[in-house]
Amino acid sequence: MDKKNVRIFFEKKGRAIYISHLDLMRTMQRALKRSGLPVWFTEGFNPRLYLNFPLALSLGTTGEREPMDIAVVEEIGLDEIVDRLNAVCPEGIRIVGAAYPVHPNKDIGSAEYESRLSGDTEELKKALQDYLEQDSIKVMKHSKKKGMIEVDIKPHINMLDVSDWEKGIIIRYRLPAGIELNLNSAVLTDSFAEYCSEHNISEECICTKRTNIFCTDGTAFE
Amino acid sequence: MENQREKIEKLLLKVKSPSRYIGGELNSVVKDKNKVDVRFAFCFPDSYDIGMSHIGMKILYSLKNARENWWCERVFAPWTDFEELMRENNIPLYGLESLDPIKDFDFIGFTVQYELCYTNILNMLDLAGLNVLAAERDDSDPIVIAGGPCVCNPEPLCDFIDLFVIGEGEEVNLELMDMYEQMKKSGSYDKKTFLRRAAGIKGIYVPSLYNVSYLDDGRIDKVEPACEGVPEKVTKRIIPDLNKVFYPEKFVVPFSEIVHDRAVVEVLRGCIRGCRFCQAGFIYRPFREKSAGTVVKEAKSLCESTGYEELSLASLSTSDHSDIEELLTEMTDYTEGEKINLALPSMRIDRFNKTLMEQLSKVRRSGLTFAPEAGTQRLRDVINKNITEDEIFSACKTAFEGGYAGVKLYFMMGLPTETDEDILGISDLAVRIADLYYQMPNRPRGQKLSISISCATFVPKPFTPFQFEPQISIDEINRRQELLLDSVKSKRYINVSYHNYRISILEAALAKGDRRLGAVIKRAWERGCKFDGWDEMYRYDEWVKAFEDVGADIDFYAHRPMAYDETAPWDHLDYMIDKNFFVRENKRAKNGMTTKSCREQCSGCGVNRAAGRECFG
Repeated sequence: MDKKNVRIFFEKKGRAIYISHLDLMRTMQRALKRSGLPVWFTEGFNPRLYLNFPLALSLGTTGEREPMDIAVVEEIGLDEIVDRLNAVCPEGIRIVGAAYPVHPNKDIGSAEYESRLSGDTEELKKALQDYLEQDSIKVMKHSKKKGMIEVDIKPHINMLDVSDWEKGIIIRYRLPAGIELNLNSAVLTDSFAEYCSEHNISEECICTKRTNIFCTDGTAFE
Repeated sequence: MENQREKIEKLLLKVKSPSRYIGGELNSVVKDKNKVDVRFAFCFPDSYDIGMSHIGMKILYSLKNARENWWCERVFAPWTDFEELMRENNIPLYGLESLDPIKDFDFIGFTVQYELCYTNILNMLDLAGLNVLAAERDDSDPIVIAGGPCVCNPEPLCDFIDLFVIGEGEEVNLELMDMYEQMKKSGSYDKKTFLRRAAGIKGIYVPSLYNVSYLDDGRIDKVEPACEGVPEKVTKRIIPDLNKVFYPEKFVVPFSEIVHDRAVVEVLRGCIRGCRFCQAGFIYRPFREKSAGTVVKEAKSLCESTGYEELSLASLSTSDHSDIEELLTEMTDYTEGEKINLALPSMRIDRFNKTLMEQLSKVRRSGLTFAPEAGTQRLRDVINKNITEDEIFSACKTAFEGGYAGVKLYFMMGLPTETDEDILGISDLAVRIADLYYQMPNRPRGQKLSISISCATFVPKPFTPFQFEPQISIDEINRRQELLLDSVKSKRYINVSYHNYRISILEAALAKGDRRLGAVIKRAWERGCKFDGWDEMYRYDEWVKAFEDVGADIDFYAHRPMAYDETAPWDHLDYMIDKNFFVRENKRAKNGMTTKSCREQCSGCGVNRAAGRECFG
């Protein structure tokens, strides 16, 4: 059988959120090795277990449905892949599904996040509204080619909703992701934190999770 | 109230490589603390990435956790960024499995692998919220123990440690913890009684039960038991049969990359060579090996449970395994099929041949490193390296023919009897290896030749024939390093690196130190010294001041020759090697006489008598 690509979706939470992207690759490679699944190795002098992450997840962010691509070289059911991997994954990483990839990586256009902010609920809601209504929201962003550059993120923030929790508010939003423009959730939470501190508002971002990834046309990345 | 885990998690995103501070790695052992009777904090006094690479910790961790009612956890020295945050936020040092403070554990055990981690031991005790001085800790505090190669001269650590485990730990650790558990259960435990009774276990050294007296000139007069029932000499423990000793089926698999990030199987203990500078070559005697079958079986089980893509065979000299070819054949059959890279460190030049190289080439290729240790045959004979120049050239030739375009060569500087000629011999050897390369018609094409010379400073160590030797002075080390650098004409393909000699001097003083150095170590730690083995962290000036503050003389320890009949600080510890043997070997060294490997001819070190077994056959 020729090799066949499989897209695995996994959850990364709890202690596992402190695994960096580079370390996650090693972690997954070893998990795949332990699972004994018939995975494809790259060819050449140093064969490596093939693994591809369509979109990296920042250190410290929880992921609910993160994609990871592998390739298999034998007929094997998708459910079996999920079960065998789950049997050998470390604490905090759980495989939630496997499918044959529908979209190529380059289709990725945005990602959806949920952040828990702590502080006074009403005060935070007001602050968020004011923050979003500024003429522009300038942040410094690292660019591979140009070093640190200033970007106005205002047009890129798609705030979906705001709700309450016992210690403050939960915000749900989408940000651009993928090859064109990739904005990390911390770009938003950090700049809002800065805004709050400038206005003497007590605010702290407790945690952020990425809930889904979308294509440029708005459909879910599958 | 916030629990410890929440407090820790709040800080993690502010530090480098946070996954090393939160546990949860695959194969780490988590138990219900309400169901365990003895809790042990296994501390490695250096950073996670160093400590997690250590094989002894992996063995003892699994061994202790195999007891259902004991729980052993891992503890490392937090890097300075996290330490600062821990102190600011009142987070005491904790075990990675439970995240519980280790000051509530029954035992805190340090493995002491090198002298330059001593200040980290103090720092970790302090971070745990304990007094660094053993005498100031009471019955409610954990028992602080230490083992590992450095405790063959534990004297500089006596102020801080309640008891030392001398020799191999697999059996004696269990005996010690059993005794503790029984005393706790019967209600007869108090620390003093426990230590008195522990001193009766073979291989346990309780320093507070010994008195040291000194001569007027500062040397040691004698070391004597302070009370009855305490042995005059503490004899190290050894495991008789490596095929029967416990070896873990699982390793904890870290998330972040560590120094030796791979599965490791120990293939043999001890060494047949007797290089006169090498402490490990003597303190781990007698020579014992695992059968090829055992090694392969252990390797398979480890690779399967960890998913590691690399496997390494560990020993002092893997090529001295009597069945090495069979072992490698069986091993590569397995690793090739599984696409696992087999790493073979510690191979001797004189055992490096085409067959061996072909075995290596089947797997992913890393660099080749040889250790001639000295630049001239005369000096190699003095140190008993037992390698000829022909063997060095022949090994390099084989390597070049096999497609390697570079070799790394390890040397030592400041060896006893060394002259300028020996130093120049190092660069001369490198040049002639380069000549050999360029004369070979079948040399690898399209690659640039690279010869790396790595030069360490000789540190005289206890339990070696060179224990009597002084280390050469700072000025002299400096001069010889310059001499070596100047003598390398072609910087194009020969690259020289050497160790920071200011670190080597401290290493020498601590290695040969006595109890009076405890005060110096404490003072240095108070002055902010930690992670002394890290070039960027080492603060020589502070150490010099610490010696001055206490009124101790670093030269007395590092640069003074010891007479053969002088009482060494470690003479009351018995590592099963006759002191007379070391004297004999020292004299032979001075006369440029070599000694054969144990397999060729017994040199009478005494270990067979002490251990009650033949070394071979």
